[in-house]
Amino acid sequence: MTGFGGLMLSHFQALLLFAAIISLAFGFLGRRRPKDRISYILWSFFLFLVVGIGIGWLMYPFSR
Amino acid sequence: MTDETPVSAPEEPPIAAPAPRSRQDYALALAIAGWFLPGLGHLLQRMWGRALVVFVVVGMLVVVGAGMRGTVFTAHGNDAFDTLGYVADLGTGSFYFVARALERTGPDTSHANGDYGTRFLATAGVLNLLAALHAFEAARGRKA
Repeated sequence: MTGFGGLMLSHFQALLLFAAIISLAFGFLGRRRPKDRISYILWSFFLFLVVGIGIGWLMYPFSR
Repeated sequence: MTDETPVSAPEEPPIAAPAPRSRQDYALALAIAGWFLPGLGHLLQRMWGRALVVFVVVGMLVVVGAGMRGTVFTAHGNDAFDTLGYVADLGTGSFYFVARALERTGPDTSHANGDYGTRFLATAGVLNLLAALHAFEAARGRKA
């Protein structure tokens, strides 16, 4: 990061950060008990990654 | 003489009893508070964990989105997509002005990073609207 406004993330880093942040919010808003929250956060995070990477590979043949 | 009145079956409560008017107004006020300052709607209902998470998550999305030089849309958009982006960005409430203040150098969507930043900012707004709706429903007693 080179000063504010220079935050450079790779595609995968952006995906990881986005998935982690949104999964955290979903877990806390969607579930009440701590145990349920943790499992929901992990499951949501996993699905974000799988779907994101899956769509990435689906688009790969059209990328060039 | 005994009382021969038949015992009637207990009256079943309605499935979703309408909330009293004052409660509706209170819930609406909480939703607006939650929209204006992310997490405030939950904080006022003493949902500490949710309040903190909403505040931090929306704040992080805004800071990262602006840091990646995403577009913070204004009311003077060129097309319908700009207007939609503006509505989404406004969903962050007061954090919209934080994003405007942080992004002094303007957006840079010539790289993927800037585009991702735009999505981060829009997601922050939509997520905050979702949280405000959750605070509204919780205040009405629908869910928590």
